[in-house]
Amino acid sequence: MFWRMVKGALFRQKGKMLMIAFTVALGASLAAAMLNVMLDVGDKVNQELKAYGANINVMPKGASLLDDLYGVAEDSGASDKYLKESELGDIKTIFWAFNIVDFAPYLNARVKLNSGSQEIKLVGTWFKRRLDLPTGESLETGMINMKSWWDVSGDWLTDQDENAAMMGAVVAERNDVKVGDEITVETRGRMKRLTVKGVFNAGSDEDERIYIPLRVAQELMDRDGFVSGAEVSALTTPDNELSRRAAQNPKSLSIKEWETWYCTAYVSAICYQIEEVITDSVAKPIRQVAESEGAILEKTQLLMFLITVLSLIGSALGISNLVTASVMERSREIGLLKAVGAHNSPISRLVLTEILVTAILGGVAGYFAGLGFAQIIGRSVFESAIDIKPMVIPLVAILTFAVTLAGSVPSIRFLLSLRPAEVLRGR
Amino acid sequence: MMMKKQTMYFRMITSSLIRRRSRMIVALLAVAIGATILSGLVTIYYDVPRQMGQEFRSYGANLIFTPAGDETSFTMEAVRKATDFIPNNDIMGIAPYRYETVKINEQPFTAAGVIMDEVKKTSPYWFVSGQWPQNDGEALIGQEVSDYIRLSPGDMFTVTGANSVGDSFSRDFTVLGIVQTGGIEEAFLFVSLSDLEEMAGDKGRLDVVECSVSASQAELDDIVRRIDENVEEVTPRLVKRVTRSEGAVLAKLQALVYLVTTIALLLTMICVATTMMAVVAERRKEIGLKKALGAANRSIVMEFLGEGLFLGGLGGLLGALFGFAFAQTVSLNVFGRSISFQPRLIPASMAISIIITGLACLLPVRSATDVDPAIVLRGE
Amino acid sequence: MSLLLELKDVSKIYGSVKALRNVNLEVSRGEWLAIMGPSGSGKSTMMNIIGCMDKPSNGSVTLDGVDISKENSKSLTNIRRDKIGLIFQQFHLINYLTALENVMVAQYYHSMPDEKEALRALERVGLGDRAKHLPSQLSGGEQQRVCIARALINYPTLILADEPTGNLDEANESVVLDIFKRLHKEGSAIIVVTHDPEVADEAQRTVVLEHGRVARIVQGKNNAMGCDA
Repeated sequence: MFWRMVKGALFRQKGKMLMIAFTVALGASLAAAMLNVMLDVGDKVNQELKAYGANINVMPKGASLLDDLYGVAEDSGASDKYLKESELGDIKTIFWAFNIVDFAPYLNARVKLNSGSQEIKLVGTWFKRRLDLPTGESLETGMINMKSWWDVSGDWLTDQDENAAMMGAVVAERNDVKVGDEITVETRGRMKRLTVKGVFNAGSDEDERIYIPLRVAQELMDRDGFVSGAEVSALTTPDNELSRRAAQNPKSLSIKEWETWYCTAYVSAICYQIEEVITDSVAKPIRQVAESEGAILEKTQLLMFLITVLSLIGSALGISNLVTASVMERSREIGLLKAVGAHNSPISRLVLTEILVTAILGGVAGYFAGLGFAQIIGRSVFESAIDIKPMVIPLVAILTFAVTLAGSVPSIRFLLSLRPAEVLRGR
Repeated sequence: MMMKKQTMYFRMITSSLIRRRSRMIVALLAVAIGATILSGLVTIYYDVPRQMGQEFRSYGANLIFTPAGDETSFTMEAVRKATDFIPNNDIMGIAPYRYETVKINEQPFTAAGVIMDEVKKTSPYWFVSGQWPQNDGEALIGQEVSDYIRLSPGDMFTVTGANSVGDSFSRDFTVLGIVQTGGIEEAFLFVSLSDLEEMAGDKGRLDVVECSVSASQAELDDIVRRIDENVEEVTPRLVKRVTRSEGAVLAKLQALVYLVTTIALLLTMICVATTMMAVVAERRKEIGLKKALGAANRSIVMEFLGEGLFLGGLGGLLGALFGFAFAQTVSLNVFGRSISFQPRLIPASMAISIIITGLACLLPVRSATDVDPAIVLRGE
Repeated sequence: MSLLLELKDVSKIYGSVKALRNVNLEVSRGEWLAIMGPSGSGKSTMMNIIGCMDKPSNGSVTLDGVDISKENSKSLTNIRRDKIGLIFQQFHLINYLTALENVMVAQYYHSMPDEKEALRALERVGLGDRAKHLPSQLSGGEQQRVCIARALINYPTLILADEPTGNLDEANESVVLDIFKRLHKEGSAIIVVTHDPEVADEAQRTVVLEHGRVARIVQGKNNAMGCDA
């Protein structure tokens, strides 16, 4: 009989129950969409922040930035240290390989342009290099991905170009070179003729450099298989106290702390892991990028969290409000049930069951609608799908359940506290 | 005593609102919640670019001044002239740099003369172990310099070199902090601009000025154009890596908040509408009765709209206030800054709430007035 | 006495159910008529048609010289407002308005609300002191009297009451009947739908409906008064 009454209510009051289900579905879809987006927004914004370029610098141990300042020859002292090009692919095999977005090697040289007297910095690098990894995967990486802010007139180089170069806007202007012109570069007695395929404006000291494919630079400098360093762009977790301690000295951590640190994508942990795979290397976070990324990521996540909380509270109040309204509407029916001798608990059970069945139906529909909304957000904002987190399901379920109960229990209690005569005689 | 029709109209509406208190509170609550979400999210939406823009300043300088043409340096005067073109509120920091080659233990190093407080603002990402120098005679040294000549905070060192007229100088400094940036700054040592000028023996020569300006790409372009046209001594340049990327990421973030806001608003509004519909649908019988008493459909609709107007207006007002409180909380928690109250949001939130409640009332009222009163009245 | 209401060959069909079949009836001005019959005999349908709340499927209904079966719903509303005072079994008072305001609502839709006159109407039904009470604070009999006051306020040509005593105890029933008697004496035409023979007895004529047809017409004990046509 109980279920018959529930069924009766569900089917005969189709309109009202549909409305409750609809509202619950709206609330649940909002919750599901917001929670999914919130949980994924970190990764997504992190991807976007890659536009700022590399956040890790890899250099040979003992090498120093000082060479740039002295203006000393390449062969002298500290700067004559190299990394092996063949090992670079290993960066993609570290524990956090998945978080390595891009990387590009550099081989630096100082050259004389068009037999002039001034020395100019020449950099050999990868532009868009296809790498086959030991794991069997392959990836494309290089400058084109990492320098999204460069303004290039002419074309980007390809790694196959043998006799072409890209010039920084400043050095090009100073030497009156335009796209399509031919230049000669000279270092250590070797000369090479290059066609300027592109002139770029980077808005930094890169504008004073000439870029050529790594292979060509290695030949020119007779440094086959070597690079002077690499820049790596990695997705990282914002630093916290643990990672700062680890960055100072990884050995100061307890084993458990060390494991936590190693298995979290802190920039210091990724640096450490890069140092593990590349012989005699030092990996340093570029603080301007790494630090700022952390700050912005944190703010964005907090912002999304608070917006989510507002939406959740809003939809929770909205649902429980409607449920209250619809329970109140049934005061007559409840009064009648009481009048014919029903006890309080069966009545509450009846009304609750009806509403919960409705809410569950609405919640399930809403969850899937919410996944749709999340994908709309992901597609239109980040041009990639939002990861669907299974943990959202129990969250939405608990939320729907709690909200429906919170909306119905007080009103049922209120109605039960009235005398049936009062209720029946008009409110 | 005849009574004006309007007086009775208002009497009916106020009676309905006051004597049906519990239902009206439910409805009012629904509207207020909707309006809170509306005004809260819209405030956040409009505030995000500004607030996030400030956060993005942690990437450091986005505008630099270099000497114009063939000049090798420029003066503080020129900087002041140039910075007049930047709105004062948008300036986060302006840090002048002067570089000189000096020697420590006969090893050449580059020393930068800076104003420490400004550097702190334009390069918030610098990690200083030890302390930032406050006074003359104190220095900040790069990690590499520190490794190279084995200095740690508290140590003294002597800087020697030749000044602009060729006389040699020697000056003692205390290391106050060691700076790590992961970049070229690690190879420099930083002293106060006045110290460096004293050593070099001349004043007013700057090599570069870093500015951190909280402005959009378009505004920055405009600033650069105006400085370029009006100040001969300096060449303003945008740090593309920072400005471009900031524009791109900010646009995404705003689009995200925009979409989230739209979806949340849409769903909330529907939620409000269904609650209103539930509240009104309950009164089918009353509508039937009024029809039986000879009320024209129009006057019934007007009565419900009157109530809706009141609920929408009050709910909208409450919502605008709560929403602002929420946005303020968010802003304080996330950005540590308060937001300014947008008075325009009050009428907007009230208008939207009134429209939503009005529409939500209209649907069930319409369906009830279309039915013959006899059918409505008979149903128990 | 002239003719107030005339039903000619009136039928009403709901889907496949024939609620009324070829009913003919004439009611004079000032007449007190009762309509009786078992449940489902078409009483309510007839009352709805007379009360301009429903239209017949066939036949014509002339009220005060107007054929209401031909009117659209908007003018039906106007006719109802101007000529008919409705009294319901369930009273149908607006629960958030006081007794006085409930009466004034009828004035409001009709023409102009007039508090004094509304109060006088309440006094006539003996509720002058209950004017500021809400329906929930009134007894059933009192609520019905408010309902009657509301029905009278616009001086209708016809008072139409659907089971006016159906929800009342005997004491209240006689109070309501006394009011009806007084109204009748003052010259109002009254049609009462009821299945209580005692109520019907008070009327001049009783129309008995069975299966949607007029089974018979009984002259009431008060026949002597008023109608002798």
